[in-house]
Amino acid sequence: MRELRIAAVADIHLGEDLRGHYRKKIEGIERRADVLLVGGDLTRHGTISEGRVVAEELSGLPIPVVAVLGNHDYHSDHDQEIIDLLRDAGIVVLDDEGAVVSVDGVRLGIAGGKGFGGGFAGKCASEFGEPETKAFVRHTKEIAERWRRALKDLDADHKIVLSHYSPVKDTLMGEPPEIYPFLGSYMLAEAADAEGADLFIHGHAHAGTEKGVTPGGIRVRNVALPVIKHAYTVYCLNGDDC
Amino acid sequence: METPHYVAARVQRALAEDERTTELGIRVDVRGEEVYLRGQVSCDERRRQIENVAREAAPGLRVHNETTLVEVREAGEEEHL
Ligand SMILES: [Fe+2]
Ligand SMILES: [Fe+2]
Repeated sequence: MRELRIAAVADIHLGEDLRGHYRKKIEGIERRADVLLVGGDLTRHGTISEGRVVAEELSGLPIPVVAVLGNHDYHSDHDQEIIDLLRDAGIVVLDDEGAVVSVDGVRLGIAGGKGFGGGFAGKCASEFGEPETKAFVRHTKEIAERWRRALKDLDADHKIVLSHYSPVKDTLMGEPPEIYPFLGSYMLAEAADAEGADLFIHGHAHAGTEKGVTPGGIRVRNVALPVIKHAYTVYCLNGDDC
Repeated sequence: METPHYVAARVQRALAEDERTTELGIRVDVRGEEVYLRGQVSCDERRRQIENVAREAAPGLRVHNETTLVEVREAGEEEHL
Protein backbone atom coordinates (compact mmCIF):
# COMPACT_ATOMS: atom_id res chain seq x y z
CA MET A 1 0.00 0.00 0.00
CA ARG A 2 1.32 3.47 -0.86
CA GLU A 3 1.94 6.24 1.63
CA LEU A 4 -0.89 8.74 2.19
CA ARG A 5 -0.09 12.42 2.51
CA ILE A 6 -2.69 14.25 4.57
CA ALA A 7 -2.71 18.06 4.42
CA ALA A 8 -4.57 19.61 7.35
CA VAL A 9 -5.53 23.07 8.60
CA ALA A 10 -8.25 24.62 10.79
CA ASP A 11 -9.43 28.07 11.84
CA ILE A 12 -8.88 29.76 8.50
CA HIS A 13 -11.64 32.24 9.57
CA LEU A 14 -12.22 33.61 6.09
CA GLY A 15 -14.26 36.68 5.25
CA GLU A 16 -14.55 39.21 2.46
CA ASP A 17 -11.37 40.90 3.68
CA LEU A 18 -9.31 37.77 3.06
CA ARG A 19 -10.84 36.76 -0.28
CA GLY A 20 -8.19 35.22 -2.54
CA HIS A 21 -5.49 35.22 0.14
CA TYR A 22 -5.81 31.65 1.34
CA ARG A 23 -6.28 30.24 -2.15
CA LYS A 24 -2.94 31.68 -3.23
CA LYS A 25 -1.19 29.80 -0.41
CA ILE A 26 -2.65 26.42 -1.34
CA GLU A 27 -1.96 26.53 -5.07
CA GLY A 28 0.10 23.47 -5.98
CA ILE A 29 -1.09 21.53 -2.93
CA GLU A 30 -1.59 18.45 -5.14
CA ARG A 31 2.19 18.11 -5.45
CA ARG A 32 2.53 17.85 -1.67
CA ALA A 33 -0.63 16.10 -0.49
CA ASP A 34 -3.30 13.59 -1.51
CA VAL A 35 -6.18 15.12 0.45
CA LEU A 36 -6.89 18.34 2.36
CA LEU A 37 -8.71 18.21 5.73
CA VAL A 38 -10.15 21.42 7.15
CA GLY A 39 -11.04 21.34 10.85
CA GLY A 40 -13.71 24.04 11.22
CA ASP A 41 -13.97 27.77 11.95
CA LEU A 42 -13.99 28.34 8.24
CA THR A 43 -15.64 31.75 8.72
CA ARG A 44 -15.66 34.53 11.31
CA HIS A 45 -19.39 35.07 11.84
CA GLY A 46 -20.94 32.11 10.06
CA THR A 47 -22.73 34.27 7.49
CA ILE A 48 -23.74 32.99 4.08
CA SER A 49 -21.52 35.52 2.30
CA GLU A 50 -18.52 34.32 4.30
CA GLY A 51 -19.54 30.75 3.51
CA ARG A 52 -19.41 31.66 -0.18
CA VAL A 53 -15.86 32.97 0.21
CA VAL A 54 -14.89 29.65 1.83
CA ALA A 55 -16.51 27.68 -1.00
CA GLU A 56 -14.61 29.75 -3.58
CA GLU A 57 -11.27 29.39 -1.80
CA LEU A 58 -11.56 25.63 -1.33
CA SER A 59 -13.33 24.52 -4.50
CA GLY A 60 -11.83 23.21 -7.71
CA LEU A 61 -8.62 21.85 -6.15
CA PRO A 62 -7.14 18.77 -7.87
CA ILE A 63 -7.32 16.81 -4.56
CA PRO A 64 -10.38 15.96 -2.42
CA VAL A 65 -11.23 18.45 0.33
CA VAL A 66 -12.97 17.23 3.50
CA ALA A 67 -14.21 19.74 6.07
CA VAL A 68 -16.18 20.13 9.30
CA LEU A 69 -17.68 23.33 10.71
CA GLY A 70 -16.53 25.12 13.87
CA ASN A 71 -18.32 27.20 16.52
CA HIS A 72 -17.86 30.42 14.50
CA ASP A 73 -19.66 28.83 11.56
CA TYR A 74 -22.74 28.38 13.79
CA HIS A 75 -22.82 31.98 15.02
CA SER A 76 -25.44 33.30 12.55
CA ASP A 77 -27.62 30.16 12.59
CA HIS A 78 -26.81 29.45 8.94
CA ASP A 79 -24.76 26.31 9.55
CA GLN A 80 -26.96 24.12 7.35
CA GLU A 81 -26.89 26.63 4.48
CA ILE A 82 -23.09 26.82 4.75
CA ILE A 83 -22.86 23.03 4.69
CA ASP A 84 -25.07 22.97 1.57
CA LEU A 85 -23.12 25.56 -0.34
CA LEU A 86 -19.79 23.88 0.49
CA ARG A 87 -21.20 20.56 -0.70
CA ASP A 88 -22.44 22.22 -3.90
CA ALA A 89 -18.85 23.39 -4.42
CA GLY A 90 -17.65 19.77 -4.29
CA ILE A 91 -16.33 19.80 -0.72
CA VAL A 92 -17.09 16.80 1.48
CA VAL A 93 -18.59 18.14 4.71
CA LEU A 94 -18.81 15.83 7.72
CA ASP A 95 -21.67 16.58 10.08
CA ASP A 96 -21.25 13.76 12.61
CA GLU A 97 -20.72 11.14 9.94
CA GLY A 98 -18.05 9.37 7.95
CA ALA A 99 -16.84 9.40 4.35
CA VAL A 100 -14.28 7.44 2.37
CA VAL A 101 -12.03 9.00 -0.23
CA SER A 102 -9.96 6.81 -2.49
CA VAL A 103 -6.35 7.72 -3.31
CA ASP A 104 -4.81 5.44 -5.95
CA GLY A 105 -6.84 2.55 -4.59
CA VAL A 106 -6.01 3.27 -0.94
CA ARG A 107 -9.21 3.94 1.00
CA LEU A 108 -8.97 6.76 3.52
CA GLY A 109 -11.90 6.91 5.92
CA ILE A 110 -12.62 10.16 7.74
CA ALA A 111 -15.22 10.54 10.46
CA GLY A 112 -16.18 13.51 12.57
CA GLY A 113 -17.89 16.86 12.80
CA LYS A 114 -17.77 20.00 14.90
CA GLY A 115 -17.49 18.24 18.27
CA PHE A 116 -18.09 20.17 21.49
CA GLY A 117 -16.73 20.90 24.96
CA GLY A 118 -17.18 19.64 28.49
CA GLY A 119 -13.65 19.22 29.72
CA PHE A 120 -11.31 16.39 30.49
CA ALA A 121 -11.42 13.35 32.73
CA GLY A 122 -11.31 14.22 36.41
CA LYS A 123 -12.15 17.88 35.77
CA CYS A 124 -15.14 17.76 33.48
CA ALA A 125 -18.77 18.78 33.57
CA SER A 126 -21.33 16.03 34.16
CA GLU A 127 -24.94 15.49 33.22
CA PHE A 128 -26.28 16.68 36.55
CA GLY A 129 -28.27 19.61 37.92
CA GLU A 130 -29.80 22.38 35.84
CA PRO A 131 -31.24 21.59 32.42
CA GLU A 132 -28.69 23.97 30.82
CA THR A 133 -25.78 22.00 32.26
CA LYS A 134 -27.30 18.69 31.31
CA ALA A 135 -28.00 19.88 27.75
CA PHE A 136 -24.37 21.04 27.39
CA VAL A 137 -22.94 17.69 28.46
CA ARG A 138 -25.55 15.69 26.56
CA HIS A 139 -24.70 17.50 23.32
CA THR A 140 -21.10 16.26 23.51
CA LYS A 141 -22.18 12.76 24.57
CA GLU A 142 -24.50 12.41 21.58
CA ILE A 143 -21.85 13.70 19.19
CA ALA A 144 -19.28 11.23 20.57
CA GLU A 145 -21.75 8.38 20.16
CA ARG A 146 -22.43 9.32 16.52
CA TRP A 147 -18.69 9.49 15.82
CA ARG A 148 -18.13 6.07 17.40
CA ARG A 149 -20.76 4.58 15.12
CA ALA A 150 -19.43 6.45 12.07
CA LEU A 151 -15.89 5.19 12.76
CA LYS A 152 -17.11 1.64 13.23
CA ASP A 153 -19.00 1.75 9.92
CA LEU A 154 -16.04 3.05 7.91
CA ASP A 155 -14.67 0.45 5.55
CA ALA A 156 -11.19 1.83 4.92
CA ASP A 157 -7.45 1.13 5.01
CA HIS A 158 -6.72 4.17 7.19
CA LYS A 159 -9.03 6.09 9.52
CA ILE A 160 -8.83 9.70 10.64
CA VAL A 161 -11.08 11.67 12.99
CA LEU A 162 -11.68 15.27 11.89
CA SER A 163 -13.03 17.63 14.54
CA HIS A 164 -13.09 21.27 15.53
CA TYR A 165 -12.95 20.74 19.30
CA SER A 166 -10.05 18.96 20.98
CA PRO A 167 -10.14 15.40 22.35
CA VAL A 168 -7.23 15.94 24.76
CA LYS A 169 -5.56 18.54 26.98
CA ASP A 170 -2.11 18.03 25.44
CA THR A 171 -2.83 20.23 22.44
CA LEU A 172 -4.41 22.96 24.58
CA MET A 173 -1.13 23.79 26.28
CA GLY A 174 -0.76 27.57 25.99
CA GLU A 175 -4.47 28.21 26.52
CA PRO A 176 -5.66 29.32 30.00
CA PRO A 177 -6.68 26.12 31.91
CA GLU A 178 -9.87 27.90 33.04
CA ILE A 179 -11.30 27.63 29.53
CA TYR A 180 -10.35 24.01 28.78
CA PRO A 181 -13.97 22.84 29.21
CA PHE A 182 -14.92 25.12 26.30
CA LEU A 183 -12.13 23.84 24.11
CA GLY A 184 -12.86 20.14 24.05
CA SER A 185 -13.96 16.96 25.72
CA TYR A 186 -12.40 13.63 26.64
CA MET A 187 -15.55 11.98 25.24
CA LEU A 188 -14.29 12.71 21.71
CA ALA A 189 -11.05 10.85 22.49
CA GLU A 190 -12.99 8.00 24.09
CA ALA A 191 -15.04 7.52 20.93
CA ALA A 192 -11.92 7.43 18.76
CA ASP A 193 -10.07 5.09 21.13
CA ALA A 194 -13.04 2.70 21.21
CA GLU A 195 -12.98 2.13 17.47
CA GLY A 196 -9.38 2.99 16.63
CA ALA A 197 -7.96 5.57 14.21
CA ASP A 198 -4.58 6.53 12.78
CA LEU A 199 -4.84 10.23 13.52
CA PHE A 200 -7.11 12.78 15.23
CA ILE A 201 -7.11 16.26 13.66
CA HIS A 202 -8.65 19.30 15.38
CA GLY A 203 -8.46 23.08 15.66
CA HIS A 204 -10.23 25.70 17.84
CA ALA A 205 -7.37 26.18 20.33
CA HIS A 206 -5.61 29.10 18.62
CA ALA A 207 -3.11 29.46 21.47
CA GLY A 208 -2.59 25.73 21.95
CA THR A 209 0.16 23.44 20.70
CA GLU A 210 0.30 21.11 17.73
CA LYS A 211 1.05 17.66 19.11
CA GLY A 212 -0.65 15.33 21.54
CA VAL A 213 -1.91 11.78 21.97
CA THR A 214 -5.17 10.22 23.18
CA PRO A 215 -5.20 7.94 26.25
CA GLY A 216 -5.50 5.03 23.81
CA GLY A 217 -2.47 6.12 21.79
CA ILE A 218 -3.97 7.88 18.76
CA ARG A 219 -1.84 10.78 17.61
CA VAL A 220 -3.62 14.15 17.97
CA ARG A 221 -2.70 17.23 15.93
CA ASN A 222 -4.04 20.73 16.54
CA VAL A 223 -3.82 22.40 13.14
CA ALA A 224 -5.34 25.79 14.03
CA LEU A 225 -3.77 28.29 11.64
CA PRO A 226 -2.22 30.42 14.43
CA VAL A 227 -0.61 27.23 15.81
CA ILE A 228 0.85 25.78 12.60
CA LYS A 229 1.50 29.23 11.07
CA HIS A 230 1.42 27.72 7.59
CA ALA A 231 -1.37 27.31 5.05
CA TYR A 232 -1.47 23.61 6.05
CA THR A 233 0.70 20.89 7.54
CA VAL A 234 1.28 17.53 5.89
CA TYR A 235 1.10 14.25 7.84
CA CYS A 236 2.25 11.08 6.09
CA LEU A 237 0.59 7.81 6.95
CA ASN A 238 3.01 5.12 5.99
CA GLY A 239 2.19 2.37 3.56
CA ASP A 240 3.41 -1.23 3.83
CA ASP A 241 6.86 -0.43 2.51
CA CYS A 242 7.84 1.82 5.42
CA MET B 1 -11.75 54.23 39.24
CA GLU B 2 -13.39 51.05 37.98
CA THR B 3 -11.82 47.77 39.12
CA PRO B 4 -9.32 46.71 36.39
CA HIS B 5 -10.58 43.14 36.64
CA TYR B 6 -14.05 44.12 35.39
CA VAL B 7 -12.68 46.42 32.71
CA ALA B 8 -10.63 43.51 31.35
CA ALA B 9 -13.69 41.25 31.38
CA ARG B 10 -15.77 43.85 29.54
CA VAL B 11 -13.12 44.44 26.87
CA GLN B 12 -12.65 40.72 26.35
CA ARG B 13 -16.39 40.17 25.95
CA ALA B 14 -16.66 43.10 23.55
CA LEU B 15 -13.87 41.65 21.39
CA ALA B 16 -15.65 38.29 21.29
CA GLU B 17 -19.19 39.56 20.74
CA ASP B 18 -18.73 42.67 18.58
CA GLU B 19 -19.47 41.85 14.94
CA ARG B 20 -16.41 43.86 13.86
CA THR B 21 -14.05 41.57 15.72
CA THR B 22 -15.53 38.24 16.95
CA GLU B 23 -12.06 37.45 18.28
CA LEU B 24 -12.09 34.90 21.09
CA GLY B 25 -8.36 34.56 21.44
CA ILE B 26 -7.26 38.03 22.50
CA ARG B 27 -5.74 38.32 25.94
CA VAL B 28 -6.68 41.50 27.78
CA ASP B 29 -4.69 42.79 30.77
CA VAL B 30 -5.52 46.00 32.60
CA ARG B 31 -2.95 47.68 34.86
CA GLY B 32 -4.16 50.97 36.29
CA GLU B 33 -5.12 53.09 33.29
CA GLU B 34 -3.32 50.95 30.73
CA VAL B 35 -5.01 48.23 28.68
CA TYR B 36 -2.79 45.65 26.98
CA LEU B 37 -4.05 43.53 24.09
CA ARG B 38 -2.10 40.42 23.12
CA GLY B 39 -2.73 37.62 20.67
CA GLN B 40 -2.46 36.80 17.01
CA VAL B 41 -4.45 38.33 14.17
CA SER B 42 -4.56 37.50 10.49
CA CYS B 43 -4.57 40.93 8.85
CA ASP B 44 -3.96 44.61 9.52
CA GLU B 45 -7.62 45.56 9.17
CA ARG B 46 -8.65 43.05 11.89
CA ARG B 47 -5.91 44.34 14.12
CA ARG B 48 -7.20 47.91 13.74
CA GLN B 49 -10.75 46.83 14.50
CA ILE B 50 -9.60 45.06 17.67
CA GLU B 51 -8.08 48.31 18.84
CA ASN B 52 -11.24 50.30 17.99
CA VAL B 53 -13.55 47.91 19.83
CA ALA B 54 -11.23 47.83 22.87
CA ARG B 55 -11.08 51.64 23.00
CA GLU B 56 -14.87 51.89 22.92
CA ALA B 57 -15.19 49.33 25.70
CA ALA B 58 -12.60 51.06 27.88
CA PRO B 59 -13.17 54.80 27.43
CA GLY B 60 -10.56 57.02 29.06
CA LEU B 61 -7.96 54.27 29.33
CA ARG B 62 -4.84 53.95 27.21
CA VAL B 63 -5.01 50.95 24.88
CA HIS B 64 -1.76 49.27 23.88
CA ASN B 65 -2.29 47.10 20.83
CA GLU B 66 0.40 44.44 21.21
CA THR B 67 -1.31 41.90 18.97
CA THR B 68 0.91 40.13 16.46
CA LEU B 69 0.18 39.88 12.80
CA VAL B 70 0.58 36.27 11.68
CA GLU B 71 1.55 36.07 8.08
CA VAL B 72 0.42 32.66 6.87
CA ARG B 73 3.30 30.95 5.15
CA GLU B 74 3.00 28.34 2.44
CA ALA B 75 3.08 24.67 3.38
CA GLY B 76 5.48 23.71 6.15
CA GLU B 77 7.45 20.53 6.68
CA GLU B 78 6.00 17.03 6.55
CA GLU B 79 5.64 14.75 9.53
CA HIS B 80 5.84 10.99 9.08
CA LEU B 81 3.54 9.18 11.47
FE1 LIG C 1 -11.11 29.51 15.58
FE1 LIG D 1 -13.38 27.65 17.30
